[in-house]
Amino acid sequence: MKTSRKSKLAQSAALLGTIALLATGCGGADNAADAEPASVDNPVTLTVTTFGTMGLEALYEKYEKENPGVSIEATNIDTGGNALVDWKTKQASGAGLPDLQAVEEGWLGQVMAVSDSFTDLRDYGIEDLKSQWVDWKVEQATDAEGRIIGYGTDIGPEGLCYNTKLLEQADMPAERTEFAELIGGDDASWEAYFAAGKKYEEKTGKAWFDQSGFVWNAMVNQLDEGYYKSDGSLNIQGNAELNERWKQLAGAAEAGLSSGQTQWDWGKGQAFLDGSFATMPCPGWMLGVVKGQVEGAGGDASSGWDFADVFPGGPANWGGTFLTIPATSKNPAEAAKLATWLTDAQSQAAAFETAGTFPSNLEAQGSEQVTGSNELTKFFNDAPIGQLLANRAEGVKAQFKGADDSVIQEQVFGPATIALDGGKDGQAAWDEAMSTLTNLDIK
Amino acid sequence: MSILTNNASGTPGAAAPTGEQPPGKRHRRADPAAGKKTRRRQRWGRLDFKYSPYLYVSPFFILFALVGLFPLVYTFVVSINDWDLLGGAGDWVGLENYAAELSSPLFWNSLFNTFSIFLLSAIPQLLVATFIAAMLDQNIRAKTFWRMSVLIPYVVTPVAVTLIFSSAFDEKYGLINNLLQVINIDPVAWKSEVLPSHLAIATMVNWRWTGYNALILLAAMQAVPRELHESAALDGAGSMRRFFSITLPSIRPTMIFVIITATIGGLQIFTEPKLFNASSSVPGGPEREYQTTVLYLWDLAFNRGDFGRASAVAWMLFLIIIVIGLINFVLSGSIASASEGGSRKRRRAQRLAHRNAVRQAKAKVASKGERLTDAAASPKDGDSHD
Repeated sequence: MKTSRKSKLAQSAALLGTIALLATGCGGADNAADAEPASVDNPVTLTVTTFGTMGLEALYEKYEKENPGVSIEATNIDTGGNALVDWKTKQASGAGLPDLQAVEEGWLGQVMAVSDSFTDLRDYGIEDLKSQWVDWKVEQATDAEGRIIGYGTDIGPEGLCYNTKLLEQADMPAERTEFAELIGGDDASWEAYFAAGKKYEEKTGKAWFDQSGFVWNAMVNQLDEGYYKSDGSLNIQGNAELNERWKQLAGAAEAGLSSGQTQWDWGKGQAFLDGSFATMPCPGWMLGVVKGQVEGAGGDASSGWDFADVFPGGPANWGGTFLTIPATSKNPAEAAKLATWLTDAQSQAAAFETAGTFPSNLEAQGSEQVTGSNELTKFFNDAPIGQLLANRAEGVKAQFKGADDSVIQEQVFGPATIALDGGKDGQAAWDEAMSTLTNLDIK
Repeated sequence: MSILTNNASGTPGAAAPTGEQPPGKRHRRADPAAGKKTRRRQRWGRLDFKYSPYLYVSPFFILFALVGLFPLVYTFVVSINDWDLLGGAGDWVGLENYAAELSSPLFWNSLFNTFSIFLLSAIPQLLVATFIAAMLDQNIRAKTFWRMSVLIPYVVTPVAVTLIFSSAFDEKYGLINNLLQVINIDPVAWKSEVLPSHLAIATMVNWRWTGYNALILLAAMQAVPRELHESAALDGAGSMRRFFSITLPSIRPTMIFVIITATIGGLQIFTEPKLFNASSSVPGGPEREYQTTVLYLWDLAFNRGDFGRASAVAWMLFLIIIVIGLINFVLSGSIASASEGGSRKRRRAQRLAHRNAVRQAKAKVASKGERLTDAAASPKDGDSHD
């Protein structure tokens, strides 16, 4: 059978059609005038987008009950990375953004570049609330013109998760304070942490930490300046401090201290139960993740995980979140009301109880719910997590995050740390990271 | 003349009875009795007859212009600008984005991955689909059951397929590596080495599309006249010979369709590599082992925020698919026509053999009487009753 010219045309038309679907864009957001407050007669639906484990779910219902007429449609995205893509897509198209958007510290560089597309919360009385948060949390949410665009929720002070059972088996100090001393107590250093790891590895033949990526993030986050200098210029090539830390990490990986787990996967939680690794850097919000992983794999508190008041290399902060109101919101006043409520001391204490997200709200930090015992403390061998995290938060400095911070972390050093875990030589992995940096055209 | 009244009714169908008389001829004016009104109706009818087919097909083209052509052109406009995802349009840069991508090793890496996965999936998939279709074309029991069964993988959404396969191909805890270890084979780095990851992704694609293609090919095979098979069988052609000399050449147009759709699909593969290792911070594997071009484009646009360069990649991919589509078209055409008869010499030999066979058969029939032909024909009759 011969194919006629017309059907060729039809084929190329079909081809065109399939490709053409790749890019569509639409724009336009109308700034509705502030509506009257929500009530039964004037129902309002607020959309909220969060990610990871933020512990806000139970609070939405409470708020809906206390505020008749308000209904909350919540979306929770599995990881911060996916949430970032989601936000960027919607931000770029100018449509689909929720009334309340959770924004992570790591995105701040990108968010601040378009800070005028967020509602200035000073219009909704955030000035009066400022003192309720740790000061650097508010500073982070302030743009160059002094507009404040985010309500602080959690911060991520880092401590060490470790497995008491595994350490006991290796005849190493398993008690919380003794373990902290093993790493160096108040003067804990990465040298001491890796030295303890080598000892553990020699005794058991097993890995000390889950994978190099999280260790590296901590190492970078606790520096005064990370991938960027405070003036916004790139600070990687020729950064001796960064390179020195990389060499330390490479040495540890080479000594078999890394279990080479897949980030955020851990063999669907199995690795937390089968003794693959004994310790792990744990920001406050990671505690909820660890608990979820262990339980997902069928384990419980008897798995032996504990949380120690120590962190190598000094205080470190990883992540933390803000609630923002995109300028596209039709109900900024209602959204601000909800966000204010969600970030007040009581709600933040409740969120901590469910997810271990350590509040940036000072009153919440001191509340009994945070310092007392709860589901998480029971899971972590009755560790007074709230108090420990408050200690860990002391002395933390907020690091400047540049425009491509998350791209550098995920695409430049992410693969490089995986390569380290896979047995690659430290220098070679560093060189490869530098060539990726060039290929990605990051300036 | 009855032609006039017929045409005035205006429907294209009504033109049919006019037979050899073309409707547009001037001599219809010859009837002076027709009033102004009739003439207007006449003209309207003519316009209707001429243009209404275009009106009927226009919804597709209007939609296509809206959701197909406009984005295509717009993408091109974006691609010649320095366009940030969040910041919007910047300066006009001409073809700089194209040049930057053509010199980017990441772009070429994505092209290599795309073609590698495409070839690893398309070739086995088409071979197996043709085989399955040929099997289903036989006279087997519970036909509908088998036909439905091969389509089941197609019904499952790609996301679900990917999640299941991704778990099975997990390096440390996956089913496949566990099985390999049982029979003392070293675990394979399905998610961090180039070839194994391509094989794993090709497996997903094949699992999903083989049955679908098999059904399309089966439909084509069913349309092959049974008489051809019967007469070839009479001539002594075995089932293999019949398959290669009758079935394959007859389903050639369908084959071309299947190959072209497989090409378009294969070069645009996204979901499988995107979700194969969902926890990877770099889409397409830590070292971009299986980052296909569409995935690269997506990463460029939405992770790195460079909309201009992403659009340039989209356009280059578009051009590549068109070129590959044309190559496919030419290749599959020549292959299928080759299998139709091969060289002219072979064809002549075949004709000769055929003639001899017919002559011999005739001789046999003459000598053994009519009973033989009945016996030869009856099983074939049974075949065609379905």
